[in-house]
Amino acid sequence: MKEKDNLLEKYSSRVFKNRKTHITQLGDDANTIAANTRAIPGILTARGCCYAGCKGVVVGPIKDAVTITHGPIGCAFYSWGTRRNKAKPSYEGEQNFMPYSFCTDMRPTDIVFGGEKKLEQGIDEIMEMFHPKCIFICSTCPIGLIGDDVQAVARRVEKKYGITAVGFSCEGYKGVSQSAGHHIANNGLMRQIIGSGDTKPTGKYSVNILGEYNIGGDGWEQERILKKIGYEVVSVFTGDGSHATIKNAHLADLNLVMCHRSINYVAQMMKTKYGIDWLKVNFIGIGATCKSLRMLAEYFDDPALTKRTEEVIAEELEAVSGDIEYYKSMLKGKTAGIFVGGSRSHHYQALLRDFGVETVIAGYEFAHRDDYEGRDVIPSIKPDADSKNIEEITVSPDEELFRERYTAEQVEQLKEKGVELDTYDGMFPDMKKGYIAVDDYNVFETDELIKTMKPDIFFSGIKDKYAIQKAGVVSRQMHSYDYSGPYAGFNGAVMFGHDVAMSIYTNAWALITPPWKRVPFIEGTVGGEE
Amino acid sequence: MKTKVTSLVNLNTNPCKMCMPMGAATALCGIRDCITILHGSQGCATYIRRHMATHYNEPVDIASSSLTEQGTVYGGEKNLKQGLKNVIALYHPKVIGIMTTCLAETIGEDIEGIKERFYEENPQYQDITILPVSSPGYGGTQYEGYMAVLNAVADKLEMNTQKNEKVNVILPPQSPADIRYLKNIFRIFEIDTILLPDIADNLDGGHTEEYSRLPKGGTDITELRKMAGARFTIEISDKSSAVSPAQTLFEKYQVPYKRMLSPAGLKATDDFYELLSQLSGKDIPEEIKTARSRYLDGMIDSHKYNSAGRAVIYGEPEFITAAVRLCAENGIMPVVVSTGSVCPDLKQYVEAPIADMGKRYFVDDYIISDDTDFKEIEEYAVKYKSNIMIGNSDGRRIEEQLHIPLVRRAFPIHDRIGGQRLRMLGYEGSLSFLDEMTNALLSVTENTFKENLYDAYYRGTPIDCGEKEKDEIPADMLKKTIEHPCYNCAGHKFARIHLPVAPACNVQCNYCVRKFDCPNESRPGVTSTILTPAEALERYKTVKEKLPNLTVAGIAGPGDSLAGNYPEVKKTLQLIREYDPDVTFCLSTNGLMLPFYAEELVKLGVSHVTVTMSAVDPSISGKIYKYIDYMGSRYEGEAAGAIMVSNQLSGLRILLAHGIICKVNIVTLKGINEEHIPQVVQACRDMGCYITNIMQLIPVKGSAFEELPMVSNKEIQSLRNSCNKIMRQMFHCKQCRADAVGTLDNDLSIDLGGFLDKDNIEEKKEEEKKKLKFAIASKSGVLVDMHFGHVEEFYIYQYENGTPRFIGKRNVEK
Repeated sequence: MKEKDNLLEKYSSRVFKNRKTHITQLGDDANTIAANTRAIPGILTARGCCYAGCKGVVVGPIKDAVTITHGPIGCAFYSWGTRRNKAKPSYEGEQNFMPYSFCTDMRPTDIVFGGEKKLEQGIDEIMEMFHPKCIFICSTCPIGLIGDDVQAVARRVEKKYGITAVGFSCEGYKGVSQSAGHHIANNGLMRQIIGSGDTKPTGKYSVNILGEYNIGGDGWEQERILKKIGYEVVSVFTGDGSHATIKNAHLADLNLVMCHRSINYVAQMMKTKYGIDWLKVNFIGIGATCKSLRMLAEYFDDPALTKRTEEVIAEELEAVSGDIEYYKSMLKGKTAGIFVGGSRSHHYQALLRDFGVETVIAGYEFAHRDDYEGRDVIPSIKPDADSKNIEEITVSPDEELFRERYTAEQVEQLKEKGVELDTYDGMFPDMKKGYIAVDDYNVFETDELIKTMKPDIFFSGIKDKYAIQKAGVVSRQMHSYDYSGPYAGFNGAVMFGHDVAMSIYTNAWALITPPWKRVPFIEGTVGGEE
Repeated sequence: MKTKVTSLVNLNTNPCKMCMPMGAATALCGIRDCITILHGSQGCATYIRRHMATHYNEPVDIASSSLTEQGTVYGGEKNLKQGLKNVIALYHPKVIGIMTTCLAETIGEDIEGIKERFYEENPQYQDITILPVSSPGYGGTQYEGYMAVLNAVADKLEMNTQKNEKVNVILPPQSPADIRYLKNIFRIFEIDTILLPDIADNLDGGHTEEYSRLPKGGTDITELRKMAGARFTIEISDKSSAVSPAQTLFEKYQVPYKRMLSPAGLKATDDFYELLSQLSGKDIPEEIKTARSRYLDGMIDSHKYNSAGRAVIYGEPEFITAAVRLCAENGIMPVVVSTGSVCPDLKQYVEAPIADMGKRYFVDDYIISDDTDFKEIEEYAVKYKSNIMIGNSDGRRIEEQLHIPLVRRAFPIHDRIGGQRLRMLGYEGSLSFLDEMTNALLSVTENTFKENLYDAYYRGTPIDCGEKEKDEIPADMLKKTIEHPCYNCAGHKFARIHLPVAPACNVQCNYCVRKFDCPNESRPGVTSTILTPAEALERYKTVKEKLPNLTVAGIAGPGDSLAGNYPEVKKTLQLIREYDPDVTFCLSTNGLMLPFYAEELVKLGVSHVTVTMSAVDPSISGKIYKYIDYMGSRYEGEAAGAIMVSNQLSGLRILLAHGIICKVNIVTLKGINEEHIPQVVQACRDMGCYITNIMQLIPVKGSAFEELPMVSNKEIQSLRNSCNKIMRQMFHCKQCRADAVGTLDNDLSIDLGGFLDKDNIEEKKEEEKKKLKFAIASKSGVLVDMHFGHVEEFYIYQYENGTPRFIGKRNVEK
């Protein structure tokens, strides 16, 4: 495993000891990796904080809720429209607070004397001006330290105005990455939002899409396909999602899970409380989308639905196959590296494979071991000091609403048929021997990986983008799609193929060496010239 | 200083500022071989890297001590020391900046102490300069963080006090391109400078074959140590900062200094070159004089366009003062000047040029505000009628909302590329900034001036109307149209008669209940009597004698003119035509049978046809009709809508092909078609209809839509106004009865009814004593919705034996 050794040799012994467990060059046996542990100080991790996971990722995109950042101004500014979650009102007059950033803008005196009062007065003003039906309060670092109780504020607001208000104690230092924030957000949604509505779906088969944040319109493409087949999409967590729909999520027939990392808690808790199964799907990639749609049809086991699913797949494939073949001819044989947050690094391998591109290095910023190795490892993960600090909530079956479509036996039978129900096998099974997986990658490892594995294209985020380009490698942002998208579903695959081909074949790469630096082919004199 | 325009005083809505660590990190990028470590949770470093990378399009490496809950409880010293070791191993820096965050400051971390202990424990790192800077996120904005770093360098760095011939230049946050310009100017004047900081290359690097993680630009630490021995310090700042590195250097090392404004705009740039000339002992070089004359020439070229500008300028005070002076000098009036920072003295820095400019241009309404967020800026932008914005890209949401062009400058610029190369300093920088502003104003003018001029000086004038009509309509038709009170608001002196000969209807509209004898109400579909063709002729004759201005005979139901009673309609029209060859025939229909009878109507001499078509989308149309009876079957819902729409459209097309003047009535149904109406109007325009008439729904008890809320007069007017841009609108519809007689303003149907029914009149006379009459001020005839003083006509109701009864309308002088 020489590539892995190369990567680690420059570290001090202490860092070496830590990092070697986070880097796995895949072999024949069961592969393991360390994940969800503290980042090494000073090493330039790509990770963000707990607040970013809670406000920035999970609750921020809920468009009809006002999200207030309780703390000094910076965090509110930096998380204001930072992710390209698209949202538009679902109907005329629906409230959309996505363009706003609300913050208590705490000053030194607030830090000394506490900011609860300012927060409550601020909420009074919000109620007066915007009349939202739901308010989220997200705490930043100082809040937990100075003892402001955002949950208590939320309770008072609920009582005073009769709306839903959720306080999230997602101070930046909690946990080891954004992941802690996802968990905290999941708990809040489960506790106070999911189950609070009673509008039943009207369609024959209804689903929620969990862990889809509608970056670049991905969620819309998925909804388009699902609706074309005839599914009713009750709610989306949380890209272009709303409090108005999420509160009815528990009345859907099935949960589809896109980003396993950020939303698996909700999926799991809804299974326990309401008996709703969850299906790990992947709508990134043509093959993956077809497979997901077929599993979905298999789950509902209705010949008419299966027939319609096949019709739609055939129709969609017909429309895009020409473009896909064209881009495949340009991209086949290229190699890629991909480092994104929690699930995209896995999802995009399927899409790249559609174009004949192999992903030789991959990793996550903030995933847990189950995202690499599959959920079977969960019982063997020992809780550490950091994960113990994040609340685990336990739910029990709802007396009225618990309803299982299938018995445990039937679920097993479906699983045997290939329907990935209530489980996730992680990224490793889709990677080949010799490929490298890196957990919590950093700038140093990025440089070294590019040197040793020489990928043609590197997918990661804006922080790495310019360093990768300066190293002469194509970079594409997988967090924001460089203003492009969607990349999901059938139409998204074509867009992705176009974007990648256009980046690899851009003229600039061919012009790097100036004429005065080119070595002449022939040296010596031409005959006859003396 | 400011008047709050919102009630949000406890919350910042859309921040117009960032936090201290952001500015501190930016300043440290201007020191060579310097790496920054943020002491706090790692999100701060990640967020700041992400925002700087997006603006500068460069890698920005900022480390973090990655404090977790444990570090928060037990102190972060261990994390920070480990972080220092790791950045040293990975970057081999000469300088490390340690910046604090909200977290480190709240738990009270002693970074000076940690630094000392780190040196003690690791003597091998003595040569690395560690620069601790306190920068709590709640302590101030990015500008204060930036200045804190510069002041820490002046104050804390161990200096080499040996005298030298260098000049210190303390720089505000400016784009790397502007810093490169300044460096070039110092080179031209042959002034040897120490720049604090120099971000010119580190935040705007090139693409090279070899890439180094730590960029090689910036001012070297050994140079910075020489600042104490320099002969002079120039501090470019607007004096709004609480700390002044130049003053610090003076107090500690007696280096003389001058604080001066950024060289943006003509005057400040002149002052700047004057100073450089004095410091260097050199005359101002020719190339600079040429650049000045070129800027001046540019100012004169664009002043005529700039004078229309009313600018919103926002950002850090330093940027604002520069931009305000540049705008004011060029005739662009700054009407809203706002900073997110707490800066109570802002007025002092910016008001003089604004007030001076205001005096020249007679403008005295402007606002200068500090501690402002974008929500307020948006409201100010509207209030002060601004037409251009200048600032960072966070104004883009206002740009989108209010369609005010945004000229992007300062930090951050996230929605465009090249923020690091934008210029505003020196004559050239000022000129490129000015050109961009002028062009933003011009592009709006260029795209709107034709329409604006047309609207202001031409639309609605007689020439405008007359020419159009002449072009489109033959003379005889034009005369009939002008004399037709429903087609021309100037035609109200002409009278018309509606002949109620067609009671049958083939369509049940959800808003309609047809009652024959209900004179209490005045609305379409209502009549007192049904006439035979012969009686209709008699009535026409009688009325014509009484009203010589009678020009139009119309059939408006009370059912549908083309439904079961078509033979009666036809007969009526033939009889009247024989009696009065000049009469204008007008007919209204729901359009269902129009394709079948259109050509026949043309032959009968009908010149004006009104089709009630409230939708052109079958699904919307389907909601309007309860059912339709067509070719022996009953249809409902979308099927009914599809038949209606296709027949209405094809019928209209046949009529229009024969030159018939067509009017389309559109009933506004709240929640059903109100959004769709402009499409209907557009369809009518595309076909070539003459006018559309957007009407109110009159909710009728017993109809399916009786609960449907009414559209207010205001809403109807605004719909008509907006559709007026598409085609001609009828603004004067009275929604007449099916047996209306007279002019639109004066319905005589009840009075004239007596000509046909004399007994009725005598009865009335007997009861006259018990009668009371009421004048109702109403516009629509449905609600009492007019002010007494604004009424042009009253609805007259008669109270008789306990029941009120509508008897007609009466005109009044205003």
